[in-house]
Amino acid sequence: MKIRFWGVRGSIPAPGPDTIAYGGNTSCVSIHTASGKLVIVDMGTGLMHLGNHLMAGAFGKGQGRAAILLSHTHWDHIQGLGFFAPVFIPGNHFTVFGPGGSPNVLEEILEGQMDPNFSPLQTLKNFAAIFDVKAATTAFEAEDLRVSAYEHVHGTTTALAFRIEEAGKVFVYASDVGQPVADAPPDPGLVALARGADVLLHDTTYRPSDQATRRNRGFSTYEDAAAMAVAAQARRLVMFHYDQDYSDADVDSLRDACRASLDTLGGQDIGLEAAREGDELEI
Amino acid sequence: MRVKFWGVRGSIPVPGRATSRYGGNTSCVEVRPKGAAPIIIDAGTGLRRLGKSLMEEAFGDGRGETSILISHTHWDHVQGLPFFSPAYRAGNKIQIYARQRDMHLEAVFSQQNNSPYFPVPLSSLEATMSFHELVEGTKFHIGRAKVSCTRLNHPWIAMAYRIEVDGAVVVYCADTAPFTDILFGREFIVKAPSLDEPLPADVVEELARMRAGVVELARGADLLIYDTQFTKTEYLQRPHWGHSHPDDAIQIARDAGAKQLCLFHHAPMRTDDENDQILAAYRTVAAHGDQPLALVSAYEGLEIPLGDE
Repeated sequence: MKIRFWGVRGSIPAPGPDTIAYGGNTSCVSIHTASGKLVIVDMGTGLMHLGNHLMAGAFGKGQGRAAILLSHTHWDHIQGLGFFAPVFIPGNHFTVFGPGGSPNVLEEILEGQMDPNFSPLQTLKNFAAIFDVKAATTAFEAEDLRVSAYEHVHGTTTALAFRIEEAGKVFVYASDVGQPVADAPPDPGLVALARGADVLLHDTTYRPSDQATRRNRGFSTYEDAAAMAVAAQARRLVMFHYDQDYSDADVDSLRDACRASLDTLGGQDIGLEAAREGDELEI
Repeated sequence: MRVKFWGVRGSIPVPGRATSRYGGNTSCVEVRPKGAAPIIIDAGTGLRRLGKSLMEEAFGDGRGETSILISHTHWDHVQGLPFFSPAYRAGNKIQIYARQRDMHLEAVFSQQNNSPYFPVPLSSLEATMSFHELVEGTKFHIGRAKVSCTRLNHPWIAMAYRIEVDGAVVVYCADTAPFTDILFGREFIVKAPSLDEPLPADVVEELARMRAGVVELARGADLLIYDTQFTKTEYLQRPHWGHSHPDDAIQIARDAGAKQLCLFHHAPMRTDDENDQILAAYRTVAAHGDQPLALVSAYEGLEIPLGDE
C-alpha cells in the first residue's frame, strides 16, 4: 500500500507562508493498493489537488474508479468534493462509505453542501460520474479491500475510524478523536481497531495546553495519539489534523514532543512522523 | 478610509508555496472609515485572520461592532464566518447584510453551522447577530458611510456594493460574469454554450440594464474591486461559470470613470508568478487611452488608503 497525504490540516484551510512545509489543506489521504486499486479517505480541500493529479491517468478518460471512506461530515472533511475534477467526467465511478447509518441520510447531508444558496453545482445530480453513497458498517469491502470501521467520540458528536488491510498490511485512519473529559484512557474500541497497525494515522490537533481550554471541540493531543499507538502496539504513528493556527515551526515542536511522549510511555520502537502534504509512505 | 484585503481568492482556499505571496484565503475585504467601526465585505476564509486581528481591539472586550456585507452566499464568500472569533464573545454586535433569498437570511446562514457540518450552531454564538435583507437599489447608512448596491451577473445572483465615506468611494463587484453572453439566474448550465449565436432581445436588454447599473454604481470610484478570476482565454472556455476577466473589468472601470481598478477573486490554481504577469500585461493596457487607470492586483495584507484617512 502507498499512502499519500493531500491535506493534513484541521478545521479550516490555513494558507500562508507559515504553513508551507506541512501544508494548509484540510483532511484528505489516498491509498494506492498493491493490486492497483484506489481508496481515498476524507474529502477536505486536499481532494481538489488529488483530483487534479488523478486527471492525468484513467480518471481523465472516464475510466477511473475509487472508494471514498468518509470519517464524518464536518466541513473540513467534505469541502473538497465540489472541486474534485474526476466527478465531472462521465464513466468514472465512486463509492462513498460514510457515517449516518443509512445511505439516504448521508446522501442528504452531502446534498446539503451543494444547496444552490451555497454551491453553483446546486445538486449532486450534476456530477457526471457515478457517485454511489453507502453507509459504512463495522466491516465491509471497498475496492476489494477489507475495511473495518469504528465509531468513536468526537466532542459532542462521533466520527468513524477505518482499518484498511491488504495482504497482511494494515493502515488505520483515526482523525478527529476526542473525548470531552480530561485524562480519559485510550478508547478500548479504537485500541482494538488499531491493534498491530503497520501505520496508525491519528489526530494530533493540539498541544496539551490548547486542548485544556478547548476540550469540548473533541480533538486529541500528541500525548493522546502516543498513548493510543502504545496501547494498540502500532509500528508507526503518523501525526495528522494540525490546528489551523499552528505554524510549521509549531508542528516541528509537536513532533519532538510526541517522540518524547512515545519514549516515556514505552513506545521507543514505534516510528513517528508528522504528515506533510505531498509525502508518501509505503507499507 | 482604509481598505485592507484579508482574502483575495475565488472558489476554494488554496494553501501552498505557489500562492503564498498573493495569498490563498477566499474573499474578505475590510473597509475602515476614519475612526469608525470596520465594515467587512464578504466572509471567506480571510475573515478568520481579520477576526483574530479585531480581537486585539474592542471586540476582545465584547464592545466591538461591525457590519458584514455579503455579495452572495456561495461557500467561498461565507465559509469564514464560523471561524470569526468576535462572534464567540458576548457583547459584540454583528450586522449581516445580504440580498434577499427564498428563505430568511438567518435560516440560510444557520445551515452552515448545523450539526452534521459544524459543531457550534449559529444560535449558540455569544455575539448579537442581526440579519438585513437587501434588494438591488437599496440605499442605507452604516455610521457615516453611505452604502448602495446593485445586482451582478452570477448564478443565483450576487450583489455589488458601493461605500462612500471620508470623501472617497470604494466599489466591490464580485462575483460577476461579463454582461455580454449569458444571463445568469437559477438554472444550472451544464456546459459552455456557443457564444456565436445571437441572444434573444429581452436577454440582451436585461444584461444591458444590469451593466448600466454596475457602471452607475462604480461612477467615479476611487477604487473598483472587480472579479477577474479568468483570463480572457479562460473565460471563453468557461463562460458559464459566472466570472469575468481583466479586459471586461477595465472596460467597466473606464465607462464608470473609476480612478483605480483592483484585480480580485483570483482563480484557485493561479500561481503568484502568473498573477504578476497578468498585472504587468494589463498595466500597459490600462495606461493606454485618454483616461489613465491605475491598476493593482489584490494580495493578502494589501492596504489602500482612500480620501481622508
